[in-house]
Amino acid sequence: MTIVLNEQDTKFKYEVAEEPGGENIKLCFACGLCTASCPVADIDPEYNPRRIIRMVLLGMRKEVLSSNLPWLCTQCYTCQAHCPQNVKFSDVMKALRNMAVREGYVHPSFMEQVKEIDTFAQELRHQMVLSMVDKKSEEVEVAPAKLAEEALGTLRARS
Amino acid sequence: MELKDGPIGAVLVVGGGIGGIQAALDLAESGYYVYLVEKSPAIGGVMAQLDKTFPTLDCSMCILSPKLIECGRHPNIELLSCSELLEVEGEPGNFRARVLKHPRYVDLAKCTGCGECAEVCPIELPSEFEQSLAARKAIFRPFAQAYPNAFAIEKRERPPCGLTCPAGTNVQGYVALTAKGQYEEALSLIKEKLPIPGVLGRVCPAPCELKCNRTLLEEPIAIRAIKRFVVDTARDESPLPEIEEREEKIAIVGSGPAGLACAYHLRRQGYKVTIFEALPVAGGMLYVGIPEYRLPKDVLEKDIAGIKRLGVEIRTNTPIGTKPTIDDLFQQGYKAVFAAVGAHRSQPLGVPGEDADGVIHGVDFLREISLGKEVKAKGKVAIIGGGDVAIDSARSALRLGAEEVTILYRRTRVEMPAREEEVEAAETEGVKIEYLVAPAEILTEKAKVTGVRCTRMELGEPDASGRRRPIPIPGSEFDLKIDTVVPAVGQAPDVSFLEGSGIRVTQRGTLEVDPVTLETSREGVFAGGDCQTGPWIAIEAVAAGAKAAESIIRYLNHQDLREGRVIEEREPSSVSFVPFGRTKEPRAKMPTIPIEERGSGFKEVELGFSEAVTVKEASRCLACGICSECMQCVAACKANAIDHSMQEETVELRVGAVILSSGFDEFDPTPLNNYGYRKYPNVVTSIEFERMLSASGPFQGELVRCSDRQPPRRVAWIQCVGSRDESLHRGYCSSVCCTYAIKEAIIAGEHVPFELERAIFFMDIRTQGKDFDKFYERGKEQGIDFVRAKVYEVQERDGTGNLLLKYVAEDDKPNTREFDLVVLSVGLQPSPECIALAKRLGIQLNKYGFCHTSEFSPVETSRAGIYVCGAFSGPKDIPETVMQASGAAGAASALLAPARDTLVKKKEYVPEKDVSGEEPRIGVFICQCGINIGGYVAVPEVVEYAKSLPDVVYAGDNLYTCSQDTQEKIKEMIEEHNLNRVIVASCTPRTHEPLFQETIREAGLNKYLFEMANIRDQCSWVHMHEPEKATEKAKDLVKMAVAKARLKEALKPLSIPVNHSALVIGGGIAGMTSALNLADQGFEVHLIERSAGLGGTANRIHYTIDKGDVRTFVSNLAKSVNEHPRIRVYTNAWIVDAYGYVGNFTTEIMRYRGRVIEKIEHGVTIIATGAEEYKPQEYLYGRDPRVLTQLELEDEIARSNPDVVDCANLVMIQCAGSRNGERPYCSRVCCNQAIKNALKLKELKPDMNIYVLYRDMRTYGFYEEHYEKARQMGVIFLLYEPEDKPEVSQIRRDGQYLLRVKGKDPVLGEEVAIDADILALAVPIVPPEEARELAMLYKVPLNADSFFLEAHVKLRPVDFATEGVFVCGLAHAPKAIGESIAQAKAAASRATTVLAKETITAEGIVASVDENICSGCGICEALCPYGAITVDEKEKVAKVNEALCKGCGTCCGACPSGAAQQRGFTADQIISMVTAAVEV
Repeated sequence: MTIVLNEQDTKFKYEVAEEPGGENIKLCFACGLCTASCPVADIDPEYNPRRIIRMVLLGMRKEVLSSNLPWLCTQCYTCQAHCPQNVKFSDVMKALRNMAVREGYVHPSFMEQVKEIDTFAQELRHQMVLSMVDKKSEEVEVAPAKLAEEALGTLRARS
Repeated sequence: MELKDGPIGAVLVVGGGIGGIQAALDLAESGYYVYLVEKSPAIGGVMAQLDKTFPTLDCSMCILSPKLIECGRHPNIELLSCSELLEVEGEPGNFRARVLKHPRYVDLAKCTGCGECAEVCPIELPSEFEQSLAARKAIFRPFAQAYPNAFAIEKRERPPCGLTCPAGTNVQGYVALTAKGQYEEALSLIKEKLPIPGVLGRVCPAPCELKCNRTLLEEPIAIRAIKRFVVDTARDESPLPEIEEREEKIAIVGSGPAGLACAYHLRRQGYKVTIFEALPVAGGMLYVGIPEYRLPKDVLEKDIAGIKRLGVEIRTNTPIGTKPTIDDLFQQGYKAVFAAVGAHRSQPLGVPGEDADGVIHGVDFLREISLGKEVKAKGKVAIIGGGDVAIDSARSALRLGAEEVTILYRRTRVEMPAREEEVEAAETEGVKIEYLVAPAEILTEKAKVTGVRCTRMELGEPDASGRRRPIPIPGSEFDLKIDTVVPAVGQAPDVSFLEGSGIRVTQRGTLEVDPVTLETSREGVFAGGDCQTGPWIAIEAVAAGAKAAESIIRYLNHQDLREGRVIEEREPSSVSFVPFGRTKEPRAKMPTIPIEERGSGFKEVELGFSEAVTVKEASRCLACGICSECMQCVAACKANAIDHSMQEETVELRVGAVILSSGFDEFDPTPLNNYGYRKYPNVVTSIEFERMLSASGPFQGELVRCSDRQPPRRVAWIQCVGSRDESLHRGYCSSVCCTYAIKEAIIAGEHVPFELERAIFFMDIRTQGKDFDKFYERGKEQGIDFVRAKVYEVQERDGTGNLLLKYVAEDDKPNTREFDLVVLSVGLQPSPECIALAKRLGIQLNKYGFCHTSEFSPVETSRAGIYVCGAFSGPKDIPETVMQASGAAGAASALLAPARDTLVKKKEYVPEKDVSGEEPRIGVFICQCGINIGGYVAVPEVVEYAKSLPDVVYAGDNLYTCSQDTQEKIKEMIEEHNLNRVIVASCTPRTHEPLFQETIREAGLNKYLFEMANIRDQCSWVHMHEPEKATEKAKDLVKMAVAKARLKEALKPLSIPVNHSALVIGGGIAGMTSALNLADQGFEVHLIERSAGLGGTANRIHYTIDKGDVRTFVSNLAKSVNEHPRIRVYTNAWIVDAYGYVGNFTTEIMRYRGRVIEKIEHGVTIIATGAEEYKPQEYLYGRDPRVLTQLELEDEIARSNPDVVDCANLVMIQCAGSRNGERPYCSRVCCNQAIKNALKLKELKPDMNIYVLYRDMRTYGFYEEHYEKARQMGVIFLLYEPEDKPEVSQIRRDGQYLLRVKGKDPVLGEEVAIDADILALAVPIVPPEEARELAMLYKVPLNADSFFLEAHVKLRPVDFATEGVFVCGLAHAPKAIGESIAQAKAAASRATTVLAKETITAEGIVASVDENICSGCGICEALCPYGAITVDEKEKVAKVNEALCKGCGTCCGACPSGAAQQRGFTADQIISMVTAAVEV
């Protein structure tokens, strides 16, 4: 399918740039460093920061705001720290989430739920690391699933 | 000579890189005196470090080196190396520049560059030139071909160790020598200051160690232990120093460290010294105060023996005081007295029972033991006190068999004055220490000690000593059962000997002296050491002895005792840091004898270091002062060139203009953690890689990795490291990295015998320079993998040294790829020094710290009269730097034209002798080159041999034939022996021939009567392991030179008069700028323009990307040209014929369609014929009115055509008709042109959709900012690949023809299309048809794309091989307006080097044709690269135009009949050499 660029929402990029954190999105020169550094892209080939920015720049409003992609960002800021053009990608993702909520692509509660998932994931990781017995040798076998079970137990007990 | 009220005919050039060199040469050749200020010891800059240059792959050093010599030897260029420009005051044309000259410590006039100093220098440092991949010495020459060919010493302030040592010992020096195993040299350095090194190697508390910068890392160097090893190991067989005997006698009272030191220093100055010692032994406290387990007596005795060996007399058992008195000494003829009696009187405890039997004071106790008296320390011993005497007494008591030894100290461990290590040793041996305990009474029974009544103490407020005062705790008394009490609570000098001497004593009971001079209250009597300071350390006493010696010498010589002396406050050294790259290494531990062996006897406890430990420990030294001043170089330099006492100085220079060519720094990628530079050894910077590739580099050109010295099989280049990166505040493009990476990849491939996997990770390949795109294509053909991706991370694969690169590939997927070696293509940045200089000069910088220039004045800074060239005004490559350098020189030359030739030096020579017809009388001068030749070749034998050769009337050898005194000697020998041929057998003619030629010319001989034999580079150096054969070869080489010299003849180079007017072809910006510059310099200019008006292509340009008003600029320029009295403009003029040569051209022009013919005579020709816009066939151009070229678009914008400025969707396609098979070059300006127009349209209508379809956005240098701005304004950039070009078609919809542009978005991987209202094509710049004709007329070449081809693409970018013809502007290659202007000024500057001369002297070594033999076949004519040969059609012989001939010899080699001969290298001469070489 050919994308006719002048028929896309060519104002979209300006709108994103108006959002807090979106100011530098148009500076992207597509070097790909964000995607190369992204831990989410490492596990999900569909997730690709450079591609998301490109879609914004080309005016693909509906495709971007209705997709899962902005929500997959873990806000680790790795890409943001390395971007040679100071595109604040993590902040752009926040801007897109706000726009998605505002424009009715997702229910406002979804944002809260994602936040809860983030908090939970952080706590889980925290507990998992804490529950590792031996911190000094490399001999000890780390079984994330088992650690997760223990950690979940701890979390449940706390709540 | 300066003109009244006129400008000054001198220019100061800052920076000795290729830019500075070119500017200096142009100016010096144009009649100005030049000061070339270079901060390093040698000129050459970064170009000297490069391996090869792109795109021709010339050896960088090979093309640079002749320039270095030309510049360095130019009589009108004064090179100020190791210097910095401080400030410039005054007006353009009349500046006062202050220059700071740092000391080089090597006399340039004397240094011959032989390198023997560096051989002996013990200090190794990372070589900056080799990018720390190899070492250099503290005395160094940056690189082998450096100019000046002289060494320099790098020195910082004195290091903290040496500054701390009271005696000023050169600690770093002897530590460095020790690290190199030079123990004798180390000892002799120690003995410069220390007369008793053995003693101090054991007992010195080593204040130096406390200040050692190693403490910033871990622990100080074990300096004392190193000294001890040196003293114990070195065979001290050094001959006694030459002592110049003097009459004066001096008496020294006391043979302790102060007395010994004073005696030592006085004796070394020749004075007769007698030491009077009250005790039966010499050494004072060293003998009687320090127990033997710490200082064996034989060590002390050896030190004293060394002092006696100098001739110092020591009279023991001779107390001074009652008889003889001090007065007696003077009566006996002693001219001065130094009192150094020490502090041997013990202080009483002041408690009851102190007189009892069993109480013996510490100093007395130790003295008795030392003197071998029987001393008892039976039973329980209590030592009272906390100083060194207390500890020494306690440990001695143990050794004498005490049952138990307890130290009672009234404060705590923290306040204890004894040295920590001594206290620890005492405790280890079993000494008990009771803290916060003081004796109240010594308990006795029948006047014999039975115990000590003690009081417990607590600490109160600090007292005068700064330590907390002990306060008795009431009622805390307790008794200890003790048999022997040793009070050790202090000692004082015994001053009874002073009675009646008139010498005053202080309240503390010490001798009163002047603290600066150590004079006492009695004239002629000095005092120092413990008797003056109170009990203190030996090294201070040694220092006092030296100080007293200095005072006594001054006193005896009636000099001011105080002048230049102050009370030394040992200021901490400012050198307080750890050099980069030094890691932790623990301090060596001093081995000791086991505890069980210490119980009885006084065996030395510390064993000293082994040699291995010492060397390793000494190698820990950080060399804080860099040069250690060990003086080995001074001893090694046979030319006496080294002077460590040189001081920096500031000079004021009067100059008319200043040119800044201060270059750049490479970006340091260390802070980029993700690339692992300095963390992983196989991640290197591009400049390091240049050195790795270089045949003279750290790996001798073998391509190996740093980690394992194995050849890499896979190499990656990461582009834009420190460029195009706003997160690093370096948003600009460094312009040169893409091409140099391609060059490095190509060269790397040639360095290995296998197929090297090479990948370059880039964002846009920016090969916008002339012929660079072909170079890029060549890289692709060679299999270099170009990957469009920015690498995120480099990580080492454990243990392999291999590197994993993480990036997103073209398929948009995260990828990891393994390499063996990674090169970071680091960007260019201004150096902090340049920024500081610019600030001092008040020059405007841009936001990145580069020098600000404007488009229409590219070599002018913001301050009039100060010009800039090279990378200081922005990243650029060598040819652009050279163009700007010439351009800046041209601008300065125009400013100073009235002062031309006012300050230059013209050399007057004696008339040349006519030696033709004389029998050859040959002088042979054979060089030892220090030991470079003399060490391997038996030079005297070669001299004798030379004398035996035919026609040799003189042969002799010289230590350095190139030294100044030898030049005089050569002249004398020419005179004395009436020599008419001179041979020097030494090094290479490349560097030295001009010097010797100059010398014989000064003696009246024609310079071509000189011959050189290279017996160093080609003999002694390569055969150093076969000295006999080397000698034989040297003889052969001399024999060959003699054979040739016999046939040598004087040559008379042609002198050609110069016509001082110029012809400029082309009336565009370039031509007009050149013409104006030359006219401003006072030369007549003929400007030829084929159209009806001036302006050229610029007439079609309205504004520049920086919003410069091109129209106004061009019309002003044209107005200046038209109105200039010295410029004659010929419009509608066509050149029909041209002939002649440099200085004497004739050009015939036709005007008004053949109606007028004029003949113009001119000295130089500047070709500035410009270029045109290509008329595209592609993308419906000419078939759809909506398709425009960028220039047309600019026109439409300028006239506000609503169809353009109000349109909704505008598309631009880049590289429309270029970078393809037909026109395989980049037109350089089109990306900027597109962005310029896009920005203009966005300004007019911000919501216009603008799409730019591009292959590589080539917004090099600071243009990157505009690219960034265009993106920020919403311009969309769509990448396309050449095999997948955009398609443009007309689509009919709703009764309209849409102009549809189809492409692909590589990020989305989707087809995209735009319905364009306007389509603008970036079309190539093409040369005009007439270029070909002009090329033929002026005998200059064109490149494959029909642009004029310069003489050398790197170093002669505006010259042609044919002298006197120059090129600039678009005729040379596509370029921006600012670049054209710089090049136009450069062409004018280069032309000035001809026009400014009255005559031009051609080369003497030229071809000649024997017309009797020549058949006129014309082979030579076709081959001559300089157009210097023409076959006379009538006479049928070839004629050489000597004015054009460069003496390359091509014709001689090609001539089938042997008619063409090279003067100075005739067949006879060459054959005679060959015969000489092969005959037995």
